[in-house]
Amino acid sequence: MLLLQLVINGLESGLLYALTAVGFALIFGATRIFHFAHGATYALAGYGFVLGERLGLGPVISVGLAFGAAVGFGLFIGEAVYRPIERSRGAFFTLFVAAFGMVIVVQSLLELTFGRAYVVVSSPLSRAEPWGGLYIAPLFWISLATAALLFGGLALFLKASPYGVALRALADSRFLVRVYGLSELRLSRLAFALGSALTVPGAVLGALSSGLTPSVGAHIMLVSLTAAVVGGIGSMPGAALAGILLGLVESLVGAVLDTEWSEASGFVLLFLFILLRPQGLFGAEVKR
Amino acid sequence: MSKLVNVDHAIYVLVGFTGVSKAAAPIAARAKVILVNGGGVGPDLAGLSPYYWNVIPLAPDEIKTIVPYLASRNIRRLAFIYVNDPFGNGVRQSLKAEFAKTGGAVVIEDAITPNDHQFTAIAARIRDAAPDGVYFASYGAQQAEIIKQLRDSGITLPLFTYSGANIPSVETLPEAEGLVLTTQASALSADDPVTQRFVRDWRAKYGTDPSAYNQNYYNAVRLFALLAASLEASGKPVDGDTLRAELLARRRFPLVGGEGVFDDLCDISMKIVVNRVEKGKLIPIA
Repeated sequence: MLLLQLVINGLESGLLYALTAVGFALIFGATRIFHFAHGATYALAGYGFVLGERLGLGPVISVGLAFGAAVGFGLFIGEAVYRPIERSRGAFFTLFVAAFGMVIVVQSLLELTFGRAYVVVSSPLSRAEPWGGLYIAPLFWISLATAALLFGGLALFLKASPYGVALRALADSRFLVRVYGLSELRLSRLAFALGSALTVPGAVLGALSSGLTPSVGAHIMLVSLTAAVVGGIGSMPGAALAGILLGLVESLVGAVLDTEWSEASGFVLLFLFILLRPQGLFGAEVKR
Repeated sequence: MSKLVNVDHAIYVLVGFTGVSKAAAPIAARAKVILVNGGGVGPDLAGLSPYYWNVIPLAPDEIKTIVPYLASRNIRRLAFIYVNDPFGNGVRQSLKAEFAKTGGAVVIEDAITPNDHQFTAIAARIRDAAPDGVYFASYGAQQAEIIKQLRDSGITLPLFTYSGANIPSVETLPEAEGLVLTTQASALSADDPVTQRFVRDWRAKYGTDPSAYNQNYYNAVRLFALLAASLEASGKPVDGDTLRAELLARRRFPLVGGEGVFDDLCDISMKIVVNRVEKGKLIPIA
């Protein structure tokens, strides 16, 4: 029963990781920008939701605020930070450092605005109830339904919508996208908006369950990065599966080791993939 | 710490946290700079160096108070969550040793890092071990995360901790209702003029009651003022050695909370009480 409980717990956090990791993979796949500040987007979305709840705006408007904060930040960093660096032919490392700087700026702003204390939106949805020998919170089912809905919707969008097809095309070849007369810039903006919006469900559910601190973005970024590599760089199904896998590993390791090893277990998984299957779960093997 | 010693030439520095204190103490001792701790409670902070003083009771004092309380509540099997650092390991040693003396046992323990955010797995393990209560030794925002996730995971056992949870983000958390924690005795009700002035001025300025940490760091500054005034009156220089000599010569000082008495290790002794969180406030219960 303990193992089954740990699987349920791991699945709940894994689904949230998966949503965030898919956003990261979408942005990286389409723009080839290593968006290290994706964790900051998560933090802003979570605090946007908390702010709305504190102001008594109700859950719908609070979720709207979270979307506004996430998408606004995603578009801002794409336009005001990454594009100028790319225009001046900035190296990959320059983009990485700029994104890292933004993570620190966002964390500091959140600390100044909300303080460094733990914040949480109390809700009966996070309280687990006995369920056939297990303890399951309503948020688990909500996470499951949200993830299924969003992954299904995203897959449909990428397959059937002209913009989705264009995003996939951008991931394949920027040159051909330009040849077909599509705007690379507009598609990049769409990728940032969509990828950032995908952090919102995880951030809102996180604010309701485990709570937030201004430094939460760093942890989320590490998870997204690990999931992106384990899943196969740029692969959205891979990132989703790897996110769930990470959640499960982090939880199941608790059956045999102390909690202090749970985060490290994710990195053990990362190293194993780098050593044994460097292309990740769904990445294509590149011949030298 | 190096900057404070070498650039600012500080002679008296306020410090907090066990790990930070242990890192800073050798630098301060080399320069004969007084370090005064008002926040860290790790057991090995006692006598850390001749120039390291504590104006806060340390964890062993709190453990010695909570363990008889646990025994009186017939809590024999305890789950223990601790941060794997000098503070947490110190509390672990003290708790296990003291608890064993009463016939109790720690039946499950879990080490965490200060950066951990997920505690649902330990909640599942605690439920599996079926203890009588849970004691946790963490600090800052993480304490609220632990409490919330344990309660959300269906752990209804009594929760116990130390004075580190005496912060608003823990006390006002709805899930923290019923949390039992040890703290130094509240200064608010003491009727000496020093305490009365401090509490009155604090309430006027911040609109809240001062916490134990506010009291401790105020006392640390007041202690310096009293020692320096005394040294200057007798024409002596004010430095680490003279401050230490003056403290050990006088030992007793009028501080917030009543008379502060220092031992040979320059540690203050204070009364410890057991409190329960009720509607966001600490209510002394033992």
